Amino acid sequence: MRQWLGGSVAGCVLAALLLPCAASADALADMRKTGRMLWGGDQEGGGPYVFPMENDPSRVTGFEVDFANRIGEYLKVKAEFTQGQWDKMPDMLRTGKIHAIINGYEFTRERAEIMDATIPYYVYALQLMGRADNPRIGSWASLGGPGGAARVKIGVLNGSAAEAYARAFCGGRCDVIAYEGNTDTMREVETGKLDATVEDTPIAAFYAPRFRALRAIEKPVQRGYYVIYVKKGETALLQALNEAIVLMVRNGDLERIYRKYGIWDEQQAELAGIAEKGRFYGYFRATDARIEKNRMPAEESVQVDTRKRGWRVVKDYSGILIESAGMTVVLSCLSFPLAILVGLLIAVGRLYGRSWLRLPLTGYVEFLRGTPVMLQLYFIFFFLPEIGVRVPAFWTAILGLAINYSAYESEIYRAGLQAVPKGQMEAALSLGMSRPLALRRIIVPQAVRIVIPPVVNDFIALFKDTSVCSVVTIVELTKRFSVLSMSTQATVELMGMTAVLYLMMSYPMSILSRRIEKRLGLEAQA
Amino acid sequence: MITVTGLVKRYDRNEILKGISLEVRKGEVHSIIGPSGGGKSTFLRCINGLEAFQGGEIRVGNRMLTPATSPRGDARLLEAVRRQVGFVFQQFNLFPHLTVLENVIEAPMQVLKLKRGEAAGRAAALLERVGLEAKHHAYPRDLSGGQQQRVAIARALVMEPDAILFDEPTSALDPVMAGEILSLMEGLARDGQTMIVVTHSMGFARNVASQVHVFADGYDVESGPPATVFGDPRHPTTRAFLSQTAKD
Repeated sequence: MRQWLGGSVAGCVLAALLLPCAASADALADMRKTGRMLWGGDQEGGGPYVFPMENDPSRVTGFEVDFANRIGEYLKVKAEFTQGQWDKMPDMLRTGKIHAIINGYEFTRERAEIMDATIPYYVYALQLMGRADNPRIGSWASLGGPGGAARVKIGVLNGSAAEAYARAFCGGRCDVIAYEGNTDTMREVETGKLDATVEDTPIAAFYAPRFRALRAIEKPVQRGYYVIYVKKGETALLQALNEAIVLMVRNGDLERIYRKYGIWDEQQAELAGIAEKGRFYGYFRATDARIEKNRMPAEESVQVDTRKRGWRVVKDYSGILIESAGMTVVLSCLSFPLAILVGLLIAVGRLYGRSWLRLPLTGYVEFLRGTPVMLQLYFIFFFLPEIGVRVPAFWTAILGLAINYSAYESEIYRAGLQAVPKGQMEAALSLGMSRPLALRRIIVPQAVRIVIPPVVNDFIALFKDTSVCSVVTIVELTKRFSVLSMSTQATVELMGMTAVLYLMMSYPMSILSRRIEKRLGLEAQA
Repeated sequence: MITVTGLVKRYDRNEILKGISLEVRKGEVHSIIGPSGGGKSTFLRCINGLEAFQGGEIRVGNRMLTPATSPRGDARLLEAVRRQVGFVFQQFNLFPHLTVLENVIEAPMQVLKLKRGEAAGRAAALLERVGLEAKHHAYPRDLSGGQQQRVAIARALVMEPDAILFDEPTSALDPVMAGEILSLMEGLARDGQTMIVVTHSMGFARNVASQVHVFADGYDVESGPPATVFGDPRHPTTRAFLSQTAKD
């Protein structure tokens, strides 16, 4: 999976500098108290890690789901999956939104600096894959290719260990192209746009049935380890997790889970060695872990079907897409009125307020307009907890969108208020009205009529901007689309449905606004 | 009722009013005439506090405006003055989002805190007086300029001000409509309404006003009863102005 270290590490380092001694609560005690282990993952990563169930896409499945549930059983807590953006997991961990990261996070020295890692629960490697009917790609060596022939194109997941490896390997002799989705590259190889792809072994194994035209080339290379990360210093939790992993290695739980997903391979033999000899980056020998004989019940193996297509996709996934569209609607409809209210107050303050008030208000507008909403959400969700302010994800989204859009709204209102002729204020004042009364009764109602078209425009923009809320773990329409398209590869159908849903929601708003304009007689006022 | 003493108004270095003094007693109608740019409108706007000024003082009833009066700090004082003196604008300035009736009852309800029924009663009587009893629910955009100005006059009257300031009320109207407005104002004058009227209508100044002032270049160059000012103008500016308007 991805190694999007740059951003996360920088964020964590920065936060660590700002707050050198963040309170370190005992996560294990907290889990025992609440009876829940919150583990983080991103279902957009797709199979076989954590992905939507075929028959009920609102629930997740995957080898990490089974793994986490089993750990929960050993720790006598209920394992609860917590959705989050993959690259934001370390922040969620740091701010206590999750107890552990279980999501194909490789062991790296950089990560171990900022988080504590368990012993590995899976040994992955990088698998080269090409089209079965393409004789030109037969080995890693063939990628370099003789001079003269067209250069080989290799697809990889952007920011992944595979990308790093492929780039180092090619060194200018072949082209490495980075994609955003885990299985995008496999599809591209299938259609012939790419010559080869390098995938983590679990992905290559799990999706092999769906991409029958592909074949594995040579043995996997560049072995690495998936580990559970916990917050730095959570030694009690770390020990408990390590014991559970050792136990699951010994009693065969892990093998059973991995076989269920078709991802057990000979490399996993190394897990036993690590568990027994305790030779994983200095971790203890877990000899005191009890061996329990309660075998897991045999389960049917989970394998991907052939890819769903056409109406089948519409039928199976329209329900959950519509449900996610509901979240989009709720987010917009709660945040926008707030944005209007705050924006109006700011505009009035800037135009009619006392001079000491104008500078900070101008600053507010310029700051919020000049920085991305994504960063603002990020700040509320991942930074405010550092200073003791915990805002739940849903309200973070509402608040973040409202604050960001209030800046835009205030500028629209400022223009609207300025468009009301000066004589209106004079007429109101000359009747003995106070300035606030004149604003409230005479000026603002006229400004509102003037600004309806741009405000509706803004609402439609906000409506689509709700998709950035996925950075604070909200799953709305766009995020749902990404999740489903990664796990089903039915991208075209899902894209169409998502677009239609957005359009079905935003177009009526345009109509409504035109109606309001008519009713308020805007056109005759000009 | 309104006493202005040594009023000086400047925009930057440009002196608009250079020491105007004037007294209006209850029931009097004062007309201010004179060439454009003489400071007539600015003078009216100073009286009800729409413009600050730099010298002299304005007394309205027992309230006093001075150069120190600030639009924010003395908001209450200004509101009180404006309740005493109504204002009718050249461009009417009706509230376009409100109907005729709502335009008239807005201030009585919001400022005088009258009940809707009482305000509507007053408004209905006044709208009938200005001949718009059939237009209660029309919007300003549906009215002619003359009708709009009549609503504006009703809107000023409904507050029962001690005096009303008219700032060129007929300049934006064609002659027929202007005539209607002027005769309406003449009726008000007959009923004893105190008024200061900035106007280009010499007929109104001559026939209705009790006092006429000729403003030129920031000075009240000549004032007195219309018979004196029109019949025996002393100041060269007055003569020039009157002979010019006579040609029109």
